Amino acid sequence: MTEGQAGGATIAFEQVEKGFDGRKILDKVSFSVAQGEALCILGRSGTGKSVTLKLMIGLLMADAGKVLVTGEDMSALNEDGLVKVRRKMGYLFQSAALFDSFTVNQNLALPLHRLDRNKSPEEIERVVEETLGEVGLGKDGNKMPSALSGGMQKRAGLARALVLQPEILLVDEPASGLDRITASEIDALLMKVKTERHTTMVIVTHDIHGARKIADKFAVLDQGRLLAFGTPQELDSRNDNRLQQFIAERC
Amino acid sequence: MLKSLFDSIGQVALFGAKALRDAWVPPFEGEYLLMQFYEIGVGSFFLVVASGLALGVVMTLHTRSTLVQFGATAEIPVFQSLAFFNEIGPLVAALLMAGRVGAGIGAQLANMRATEQIDAIETLSIDSFKLLVVTRVIACTVMLPLLTMFMDAAGIFGGFLSEHVWSHLSWRLYMQRAFDGVALADFLPPTLKTAVFGYLIAVISCFYGYTTNEGSDGVRKAATNSVVVSSLVIILADVILVKCIFFLFPEQAI
Repeated sequence: MTEGQAGGATIAFEQVEKGFDGRKILDKVSFSVAQGEALCILGRSGTGKSVTLKLMIGLLMADAGKVLVTGEDMSALNEDGLVKVRRKMGYLFQSAALFDSFTVNQNLALPLHRLDRNKSPEEIERVVEETLGEVGLGKDGNKMPSALSGGMQKRAGLARALVLQPEILLVDEPASGLDRITASEIDALLMKVKTERHTTMVIVTHDIHGARKIADKFAVLDQGRLLAFGTPQELDSRNDNRLQQFIAERC
Repeated sequence: MLKSLFDSIGQVALFGAKALRDAWVPPFEGEYLLMQFYEIGVGSFFLVVASGLALGVVMTLHTRSTLVQFGATAEIPVFQSLAFFNEIGPLVAALLMAGRVGAGIGAQLANMRATEQIDAIETLSIDSFKLLVVTRVIACTVMLPLLTMFMDAAGIFGGFLSEHVWSHLSWRLYMQRAFDGVALADFLPPTLKTAVFGYLIAVISCFYGYTTNEGSDGVRKAATNSVVVSSLVIILADVILVKCIFFLFPEQAI
């Protein structure tokens, strides 16, 4: 068992390898995330952080090794199996990835309509309204995504990721393209989700300031390898200049 | 080059076969399908009718100048209706759809791919292929024959307008002459062949949009390829389908 690996985890990477066009992006990466834990993945651009998230939700499949989510090996699942695992997960994209031909309300209602066909339109409307209220967009449901600011789009994307009450939330660069204040607001929302819903979280970020607020553990990727894994305190105490470059708070 | 061409044809064929198979497998995306019917059918209606009307007028003007030399201007209405039913209506409606709808589908899906909206659909446990591709394929396959009928009607009406202005021919006489000697076999097979054109336009456009992975440049390429390849394939398919119609309805070939 390598650094960062543990039994009974909600998410576990076991010797995972992934490459594109002959270039290895992840090289024998192993770590795990326990239920209710928040893991922040840090590292330079192009080190495979977003690829790691996409492997977790099955948008990409590992070339070698295993990606286990709630005990299920993602690469061994068929379409139905993937759908079942994905129903436990929410994903906030870096760009929010809202459906641009739908209003914010419709963006949230889409998964509810498709995945819970027993829900009445009134129930769906209520759930959408509540979820938007939670992220502070209660009055913006009828707006098109193009009419929202970057921060509001992120909130709407977060609301869509949360609308199915996922056990696991994957977040790709929550602070990217946002000013510090708006980024802090998104961090506060993620903290709220973590404490109130006990959602397991994996957050990919460059924002060490925000990461320190949310994370129970850090995973640091460098050149496709797991440079370090542990609690922020454990990593702070390590005398490793390369590691400190990633986790030292710079304001 | 040749290998790559056959490789692409194979990929599109598999993509189209998957769309055909998934169209019969629940869940059916009824609400989204209705949106596509509206977007593709109602959205193209004005373009098709206006083009049909203009073509009808122009066709009659050309036909008149030729037939007047043989004293056969009374045949203009039936020439007009047969030309529209057999070829002009189906082919022009299909080419217009390839231009308007094909480019739109290619660009929209490629943009959704580039902005991770398709990935977002997948993460919500929704089958993006069924939601985005199958609905568009069904909508194009169903709507193109209907649009063709409107194009035929507009073309014949355009012909009437031209004839009415030129020779004060009455509506009743024009229609009588237009449908005199026109059999159901002149209308039905060519109109139904447009369902194949609609299917081809949707499959090709969806293929270029859905499978691109090149960001904003991919959007440009998908839009261009959708129109160019769809138009070319429609014309080639038309040759084959006309041959098939002649084989099944030999009286049409005479």
